[in-house]
Amino acid sequence: MIDARVWLLWALTTLVAASSTRNPLYAVLLLLVTTVVGIVCAPDQGRQVPLSPLRFAAMAVPLAALFNGLTAHLGHTVLFRLPDWLPLLGGLVTLEALVFGATNGLMLTVIFGGFAVFNQVTPVRDLVKLTPRAFHETGVVLSIALTFIPQTVRSLNRIREAQAVRGHRVRGLRDWLPIVVPLLVSGLERSMGLAEAMVARGYGAVSGRAQPLRTQGLLVVGLLALLGGWLAFLFLPSWKGSAVGMMIVGAVIIVGVVWLAGRAVSHTAYRRHRWTARDTLAVLGCGLTLAVILLPLPLMDRGTLYYSPYPRLTLPIFDPLIGLGLLGLLVPAVITTGGRDER
Amino acid sequence: MIHFDHLTYTYPDSSQPALADVTLHIAEGEFVLVAGPSGAGKSTLLRCLNGLVPHFTGGTLSGSVAVAGHDPVAEGPQVLSRLVGFVFQDPEAQFVLDRVEDEIAFALENGAIPPTEMRVRIEEVLNLLDLAPLRDRPLETLSGGEKQRVAIAAALAFRPRILVLDEPTSQLDPQSAEDVLRALVRLNCDRGLTIVLVEHRLERILPHADHLIYLPPPPIGGDSRGVLSGLPRHVLHQMNLTPPLVTLGKELGWKPLPFTVKEGHRFAAKSQILNPKPQVSEKQSVIRYSLFVIRNLHFAYDQEDILRGINLEVAPGELVALMGRNGSGKTTLLKCIVGLLRPQQGEITLESESLIKQETASICQSVGYLPQEPDDLLFADTVAEELVVTLRNHGLLDSPPIAPADLLARLGLSSLAASYPRDLSVGQRQRVALGAVTVTRPRLLLLDEPTRGLDYFAKRELVRLLREWQAEGVGVLLVTHDVELVAQAADRVVLLSQGEVFADGSPEMLTASPLFAPQVARLFPGTGWLTVEDALAGLNVEVEDAN
Repeated sequence: MIDARVWLLWALTTLVAASSTRNPLYAVLLLLVTTVVGIVCAPDQGRQVPLSPLRFAAMAVPLAALFNGLTAHLGHTVLFRLPDWLPLLGGLVTLEALVFGATNGLMLTVIFGGFAVFNQVTPVRDLVKLTPRAFHETGVVLSIALTFIPQTVRSLNRIREAQAVRGHRVRGLRDWLPIVVPLLVSGLERSMGLAEAMVARGYGAVSGRAQPLRTQGLLVVGLLALLGGWLAFLFLPSWKGSAVGMMIVGAVIIVGVVWLAGRAVSHTAYRRHRWTARDTLAVLGCGLTLAVILLPLPLMDRGTLYYSPYPRLTLPIFDPLIGLGLLGLLVPAVITTGGRDER
Repeated sequence: MIHFDHLTYTYPDSSQPALADVTLHIAEGEFVLVAGPSGAGKSTLLRCLNGLVPHFTGGTLSGSVAVAGHDPVAEGPQVLSRLVGFVFQDPEAQFVLDRVEDEIAFALENGAIPPTEMRVRIEEVLNLLDLAPLRDRPLETLSGGEKQRVAIAAALAFRPRILVLDEPTSQLDPQSAEDVLRALVRLNCDRGLTIVLVEHRLERILPHADHLIYLPPPPIGGDSRGVLSGLPRHVLHQMNLTPPLVTLGKELGWKPLPFTVKEGHRFAAKSQILNPKPQVSEKQSVIRYSLFVIRNLHFAYDQEDILRGINLEVAPGELVALMGRNGSGKTTLLKCIVGLLRPQQGEITLESESLIKQETASICQSVGYLPQEPDDLLFADTVAEELVVTLRNHGLLDSPPIAPADLLARLGLSSLAASYPRDLSVGQRQRVALGAVTVTRPRLLLLDEPTRGLDYFAKRELVRLLREWQAEGVGVLLVTHDVELVAQAADRVVLLSQGEVFADGSPEMLTASPLFAPQVARLFPGTGWLTVEDALAGLNVEVEDAN
């Protein structure tokens, strides 16, 4: 098992990598990497995502290509021309614009795939634990929402079937009423039932100490300092140094208050994850990818990251060293396979 | 251990008390069964034990409750959670997390129990409920019985002295219900845990119960009604609707009343059987099957064969019971019939007209389908409107095959025509849903587990309705686990296993099956009797002669 915090770092690294390049070759590589990690690391019994990355790509890539192709009238390879009187759409439709749009769709798929894997591999319990102690209640709400989603999807399917056997056909918006009303009512009934069950299980019996007024006041001071510092940074160029100092003080106060508030929450954890060499390896993998993406390292052609099909479509260049760096995201799959072999 | 003293409780916005002047005592270590018709206040009584009533519900309460020296009304459910574990009807509705161990740990983590102590407690409940092999499993992959055992384990995590369960087996198939019940009996016998449990199928629980509490139906005039409480055999004598074995025992004056077939055998062995039911011959059972026919039906999902070459026929006015373990393909078959699932191979015809290519909406004009959750059908503001909506969907509003008012009268819902459907009892809601699918006057009726959560009275009403429809020539295909219902109502039984029909014959066929035989059949093997009426008819001659 890899720590949930490491998985969060992995998903964020995927996000940064996908946002930092427009090279379709790197995008395809990232997509392959996230798919392999998903297949290897997400257990068969894991939480299902409502939409598979493949289906997402089937929608996102053509839609993004079409949207960009019809609205961005740039590029030299003209495919056809739409009448100028058409607002927004009128003008040249070029191959370059279509390719740029498709690449954007591909990047969105990579980001979606990364977070889909994160969602599948992280148990709800760990998601709750990712939230700071002070926001424990928020974490519980998040976990309930996550367990509610599959239940609601099942309810929706059941209700659609039940209404269909009464001769109901969905033709327009109003026809959703017989489906939405039972769905909402059953959702509310389930919420009330869950609330009752949680109370019966003692939820809320051990409440944390009430936050003293002093702590709440400190939070306000911290927020004011942060906001004031930011405004001063933006609008008072001569006060830049003091503004940054103010922002730092404000941030420190806020972090301190959150930490204090977390201490007041009475809560224990059943299973604490022990940091292992695998977690370290996965972090190093993410670090490698981030370094390749963000740092001006020698021997690497960072220009290949910023590929653009404009003004005339050319083949993107693939730098093997950057490609190797992106493979850092594959580490969770490698160590998971290694772990299985050990058993 | 538990004392109710003249407790009266009224829900907010209600004029009638849900519990009126209840006085009773429960001793430590007892296995208590709470029985009574829907709406009698059974769940309310349970919720008084941990303070959910009135803390969660509001309302007015007079009198007092004491639970192990604590006052749930004064201390509230959160405090009482350490003393009273509570398990609800639907296990899924009470889960917060998604894995077995995490779900059990949830309450302990929130109760700030130290991790070492927590580990001990979790191991303890996992072992008690045979859940250790499932500890890492996602909850959604568990069977209904396993989920309910997880819910019980979660309720026991605080090591309460009392375990309260509100119809814990009503959503389960017989095998899963048996697993849950076995776990409860072990907790009661080995651990001395006091168990208070509401259940409609008394025959499941009676053999284990030390104490029976019967809450009579709510009075019409609003007079106070007495709660019957005491030894099960004493209380059962004063109850009208009881399990078949007990009813037979009461009719024949057997003392003490038998709760198990083994106990009943002592009396049955002394009875002289004078009038055994003639066996239905093969020739008799082969009658004009012309209404509904399924031929060689195959359905696969995700490359897994769910239905493999099903052949089935239903005659006009015939009630065919479709039985089999969970996952045998019963519900899938019903869904294929109404077009919610599309079979890969085979033919389905109703009065020689193929249903295979038709849309669900068009099939359901002549085939009424009542799914497992009748609530999914209900969304209108009034009971009468539910029927009108179906007519409108089918374009039959101007010329309804049956007037909605007439159908409501037949369903016994005339007085509730203006009521909001979701405010009604389980049995009434089910009848509204039945009305919503039969207002088109279908020629075939498909019912999926229609007696889940129904009390004996509601079940009797359902059988009456089905008989009326049968008399009009409507064919009925009934999916159920309820062997007593099948014994009472079915003309023929079809047994399904792994997507195949492995037996098809008269209900007497059930007497040979240890899994499906009703109580009377097990009591008088070889007679062909299935119901109390059969047995009384067969034994009456002897009683009359004796007189």
